[in-house]
Amino acid sequence: MQVFLQTVIGGVSLGAVYALVALGFSLVYRTMGLVNFAHGNVVTVGAYLASTFYLSTKLPFALAMVVAIGLTAAIGLVIERVLRPLENRDFDLMLIGTIGFGIVLDALIIMVWGATGRAVPSPVPSAPIELFGLRIRTYDLVVLAIAAAATVLLVLFLSRTKRGAAMQAVAMDHEAATAVGIHVGRSNAIAFMIGAGLAALAGGLVGPLLYVSPALGGALGIKGFAAAILGGFGSIPGAIVGGLAIGILDSFTAGHFQGYSELVTFLVFTVIIMVRPTGVFGERTVNRA
Amino acid sequence: MKQRIAVAGLIGLALWFLPYGLDSYAIHVVNVILIFAILAIGLGLVMGVAGQVNLAQVAFFGVGAYATAILTTHQGLGFWVSAVLAVLATVVVGVVVGTPALRVQSHYLGIVTLGLALAFTNWVTNAEIAGGAEGISAIPAPTLPGIDLSSEYLYYYLELAVFAVVLTFGLFVVRTGLGRRMRAMRDDALAAGALGAEVPVLRMTAFMLASVYGGVAGVLYAGLIRYVAPESFNIANMFLLLGMVIIGGRQSLIGCVIGAVSLALVREALVDHPTIAQVAYGSVVVLVVVFAPTGLAGLPTRIRALLARRRGHQGTAAQLQPFQPYETSPADDTRRTTAILEVEHVSKQFRGLKALDDVSLTVADREIRGIVGPNGSGKTTLFNVISGLYRPTAGRVRFLGRDMTGQAPYRLARAGMSRTFQNLRLFGDLTVEENLLVALDRSRTRQSWRYVLRPISVLRRDRDLHRQAREVLTRYGLTEFAGLAPKALPYGIQRRVEIARAVAAAPTLLLLDEPAAGLNGEEVRQLSEIVRSIRDSGLTVIIIEHNMGLVMSLCEQITVLASGRIIAEGRPDEVARDAAVIEAYLGDSMTADDLPTVPEVTR
Repeated sequence: MQVFLQTVIGGVSLGAVYALVALGFSLVYRTMGLVNFAHGNVVTVGAYLASTFYLSTKLPFALAMVVAIGLTAAIGLVIERVLRPLENRDFDLMLIGTIGFGIVLDALIIMVWGATGRAVPSPVPSAPIELFGLRIRTYDLVVLAIAAAATVLLVLFLSRTKRGAAMQAVAMDHEAATAVGIHVGRSNAIAFMIGAGLAALAGGLVGPLLYVSPALGGALGIKGFAAAILGGFGSIPGAIVGGLAIGILDSFTAGHFQGYSELVTFLVFTVIIMVRPTGVFGERTVNRA
Repeated sequence: MKQRIAVAGLIGLALWFLPYGLDSYAIHVVNVILIFAILAIGLGLVMGVAGQVNLAQVAFFGVGAYATAILTTHQGLGFWVSAVLAVLATVVVGVVVGTPALRVQSHYLGIVTLGLALAFTNWVTNAEIAGGAEGISAIPAPTLPGIDLSSEYLYYYLELAVFAVVLTFGLFVVRTGLGRRMRAMRDDALAAGALGAEVPVLRMTAFMLASVYGGVAGVLYAGLIRYVAPESFNIANMFLLLGMVIIGGRQSLIGCVIGAVSLALVREALVDHPTIAQVAYGSVVVLVVVFAPTGLAGLPTRIRALLARRRGHQGTAAQLQPFQPYETSPADDTRRTTAILEVEHVSKQFRGLKALDDVSLTVADREIRGIVGPNGSGKTTLFNVISGLYRPTAGRVRFLGRDMTGQAPYRLARAGMSRTFQNLRLFGDLTVEENLLVALDRSRTRQSWRYVLRPISVLRRDRDLHRQAREVLTRYGLTEFAGLAPKALPYGIQRRVEIARAVAAAPTLLLLDEPAAGLNGEEVRQLSEIVRSIRDSGLTVIIIEHNMGLVMSLCEQITVLASGRIIAEGRPDEVARDAAVIEAYLGDSMTADDLPTVPEVTR
């Protein structure tokens, strides 16, 4: 039991990061029906930017994070602007377009920061807290708190602001949204911007947890995507539940299968998607008639 | 045609003498490029032709290479035996990777296949049998009697021969029935299924084809490099491969080859600056999808179209010819009374909404049945239930006496049911003639082994289909549009093509969903003539229509739906007088003289 709980706790903080990545995917997907395959690379950019400002420029961790989020969000805007001609026309092509951006970002990361990674020290004291015989790292709590705050802010934005309502409208029916005077392109741009911002947040937070390297985003991206699907693509509670579930699954497979953990995670994920393509909270069918 | 053969011959000749001008490094590069070209053809087949987003092509490549390596080094098998087993192993993996395609499509499929590709690299990096991160070295060179294949110059000719065979085979598949059906599925899986294309079998076939290409490329790679390691099959290479296919033009196999060759050459030129090369080809991929989605292969067509527009050619001068009626087949009185279609107490519930509520109707042989009703009364839902797109919540559908409730659309199509769609579902990237060919081709996808074992019979069948297609084109007066894309045609002609396509599938029962929507008066008159002739040739027709004039003059029996229920059924004159019908259409205070003729707004 002790081991079980400890494993769960070990997975929760990474799970929260996956949830943030999944939120970025989901937000873009629900607004424009597109899966951004460059999302993982955007996470890497965010992680490098945050760690650079934190380590090299010696900004406080929180400030480094904010600057990184702002810069990364701008990248999201660029991606959306370039692919805008394809919006609502050919999703397979758009998907490939985002892969193209992923390739470019991947190379740019190596050009700017080199192929080797860097370790980011934890910004809070590293001594773990003991609770009922379980060890909880303080930084894990920080990650959880920030992820929770970001989710609440996102939900408030979508439900309480005019801009957010407009995005919901575009998500439901982009033609009807155009008809009532909503600028669909701008709405998509904001979705992409927030998505990239969330990616940077995830990347910045994950820095002290994992080793920041060019390969970071690939793994995070695909796990975040798996989380989004698991919860039900486009659903915000789904992204959170899915993220935590994948994090915990990860932690278990790492314990039981060591090197093969990735293999097991992806096989489980494939089976889940076959059994229930719409995920836990998903409503829409995948193959729309 | 002659020109093309001449060009192909010249290229062949150039390829034959190529090694004479190359040093040992250059020939190595050329050998690697050929392997990538084979891989790209496989990816083009599954992604460009069949429309299945497959990001595991590099894993197929890896399975082929690793299986060869393991079988030759650990099991001590000969190279060629190992090669055959390796390709078989790759096909097995291809089936596994393709299985998710039965449930999910597009980006979901992309991410699942990508995940499986990652799972593969994860496995080879850890598995002892695969040599872990170091990989497997000292793979024995393949041997052929009298030829030393450890020489890269001679290996080139082996690769060239394999390349020529697999390219020819790929082109053969694409240009004949199987490829046509795959392209139809890519453009519109729903319509392809309604025409009898076995969508699940087709998707698996596409993945199997791709895996064969991947396996063959893997075997060649193992024989060439004689060393395999995980990083040769990583995601970066997958994306490079994807770049080749996209830049070259995914829908054309030749394009895929051109993409593979040019991208590989660029990468070779920038071999000292791999990141710059990566930025370059990534940007080109983005630019291609935005500005030239058909890739390099599509450029000649685009340039020609542009030039034509510059010179002021406006559209085509093609003319619609009159429809030539079918020969009336003598009515068989014994069948006259048999029911073709029996819908028994069918209900269909969409969450809170009851779209169909206890609907029963029977359609007799050679009847023209009209189904009318206000917008949202459940007419199209009824069609979708009958043709198998929806499974009814309750009730049965019997077709030709057999219970077909909830059967897949392609099974119903094969049993003799054909339909058109309210919003037109022509295969956009196929020509008008190819649209008809898809419907005419009644062969089974399962019999695709013929492509390998009896290619001549496949060719002969295809020629036969083309002859039939020409007959259909002539009958419907569409001959001059045969080579055009449906999207380029006026709406009325597209409607006619869709009807011709539905009838070309040789159905017993034809379902027409608002065939007159958007047609002008003259076109409606022609439509009425066509439908009547189709019936006289021995078919039973059910027609959903808002154009009351057409329905009243054409149909023998009319069923009126309102809010998912049948409110009246009978001869046109009876129905038009029915109080419930008048109320449903116009409210209760008006007369039935001017029933609405406005077509439903197309969604």
